[in-house]
Amino acid sequence: MNVRRALPVALPPAALWKLLWDVPRIVGCVPGCVEAREVEPHRRYTAQMSQRVGPISLSLPLDVSVTGAEPDCRLALLARGRDPVIGAEIAMQVILVIEAQGEASVLHVEAEGRVLGKLGALGHGIIQRKAEEAVDEFGARLQRAAAG
Amino acid sequence: MLRPFALYRPTTLPELGDLLAEHGSDAAIYAGGTELLLLLKEGMIRVRCLIDVKRVAGLDAIASDDGAITIGATARHRAVERSVLLRERCPLLAGVAAHVANVRVRHVGTVGGNLAFADPHSDLATICLAYDGVVSLWSYAGERQVPLTEFVLGAYETARREDEIMTSVRLRPWPRGTAGAYLKFGVYERPTLGVALAVTMSSAGQVSEARLAVGCVGPRPLRLPDVEQEMIGATAEDLGDAAKPLADAAAEAAETLADLHGSADYKREMTRVFVRRAVAVVAARAAGRDLHERYPHTVVV
Amino acid sequence: MSDTRTPSSCSLAFTVNGRAVTLEVPAHVLLLDVLRERLGLKGAKRSCDMQVCGACTVLVDGSPVSSCTYLAVEADGADILTVEGLGHGDTLDPLQEAFIEHGAVQCGFCTSGMLMSARALLAEDPAPTRERVAHYLRGNLCRCTGYTKVIDAIVACGRPQEART
Repeated sequence: MNVRRALPVALPPAALWKLLWDVPRIVGCVPGCVEAREVEPHRRYTAQMSQRVGPISLSLPLDVSVTGAEPDCRLALLARGRDPVIGAEIAMQVILVIEAQGEASVLHVEAEGRVLGKLGALGHGIIQRKAEEAVDEFGARLQRAAAG
Repeated sequence: MLRPFALYRPTTLPELGDLLAEHGSDAAIYAGGTELLLLLKEGMIRVRCLIDVKRVAGLDAIASDDGAITIGATARHRAVERSVLLRERCPLLAGVAAHVANVRVRHVGTVGGNLAFADPHSDLATICLAYDGVVSLWSYAGERQVPLTEFVLGAYETARREDEIMTSVRLRPWPRGTAGAYLKFGVYERPTLGVALAVTMSSAGQVSEARLAVGCVGPRPLRLPDVEQEMIGATAEDLGDAAKPLADAAAEAAETLADLHGSADYKREMTRVFVRRAVAVVAARAAGRDLHERYPHTVVV
Repeated sequence: MSDTRTPSSCSLAFTVNGRAVTLEVPAHVLLLDVLRERLGLKGAKRSCDMQVCGACTVLVDGSPVSSCTYLAVEADGADILTVEGLGHGDTLDPLQEAFIEHGAVQCGFCTSGMLMSARALLAEDPAPTRERVAHYLRGNLCRCTGYTKVIDAIVACGRPQEART
């Protein structure tokens, strides 16, 4: 799936950059994501991801590695995980680019990934839609986190 | 082989409510099992127990109630197909039920199971939309009625809460002078597209009410009220002449999603093709004729 | 009647091809497995395993079901008919005779399912039209015959009853 969004955030770039590295707060913004842990500062993190499509529940440990970081500007992540119960695998690349806009910022999100295994049977269309909903929800929560 | 589970068979709704409260997401509601058992076989879901609802009295009743028709959640597709009451009052629904899946699924699968599972590639929700279906949901907190348009939220997603069970769907039969058709298209086991169209003709021979529902091509079936509006006031002949612009409008309004049945564009195009055909069939029926057209890989009800 | 005191295991009492059977069966066991493994009735086949192809078709109280996607516990108190129950001893059922006569069998894998569906259809509609047969058997897939001779056989089976009335 491939999702691109431009999310307005009421924070200047430096403050937004700091927020992005506040792992517990950022994990709280990702729908279905809980228990983020730092494995290697600024390099590797783990989280537990839960999602639901109708009667099918997905729960998997995510391995997140930072593949690129330019302060106040760009963050690239690789997230991978496997749900052994339903045999589904997720592999995603997420690129976050901060664009200054006056006193605030626009966070450009580009998430590209694959869902493999049985969940793929749901079809690309539904998975794409779920991914879009997740990114939109992330944006809404991020805006609230930035304000509060 | 399925993973082991316990099987409970409540005979009343409160008993069912107790079981749901006790087991929560470790339980699955089980009626015909034609979708549930497949999910269990595939390992897509895991449960500790099944709650068989077929022994709850009255849950399979098909009855007339104050002008409306109520179909109980555990009524089998076969019962819908053969119901004298439905053939008389909702003939297109009975007709569509005769073409759901295959004869074995029709004997075992239930209306409630079908609607609550909300597989986009199915016929029942689409045709029930054309009958202004309203779903009844029961829980300990009480009963509530949810129009089908608000009940089906997306692919495999409904407004049913985990502590609720769907007990019935209520339909508004069409008045006399309504001509309708259901066109079902596809080469696979499940339909690729379903179009339900019904127009009520006034005594002056003009469309006074129109119902157009398109299903299978998107995450959920939809009524197309803007296109319905364009049919109002038309004579049967006008309707036939307007097949192409109505089809174009429907293709524009439809929500399509790519999957193994085809791309979003392909489904949009098929919506155009089949709404045009549905209008032609219904216009002919409204004029007292029948087109008897045969379209490839299509069932015309 | 079934004993559901231990909700994961059930006592079943039913008839299979006219013969009374009692079994203790876990709730999660599928009818196809009971028929094939517990009762040695191998006529019904596991093919698609998702109720699409019809090779596992058996009749439960006259209704055709996909035994691969049907819990055995649902058979409690019911009359089950499998292909082994067609005909008596060395005498084949008229349907089976018709299938042979019309060349409606090649590899034979779909045949038991075809016969059971046909049997259910003829019980409901003794003289079905070709179209009716084709519709009723739409859920029974065959990779060999091309279906025409299967329909021929079933329609031919229907006619004598028509002549009777």
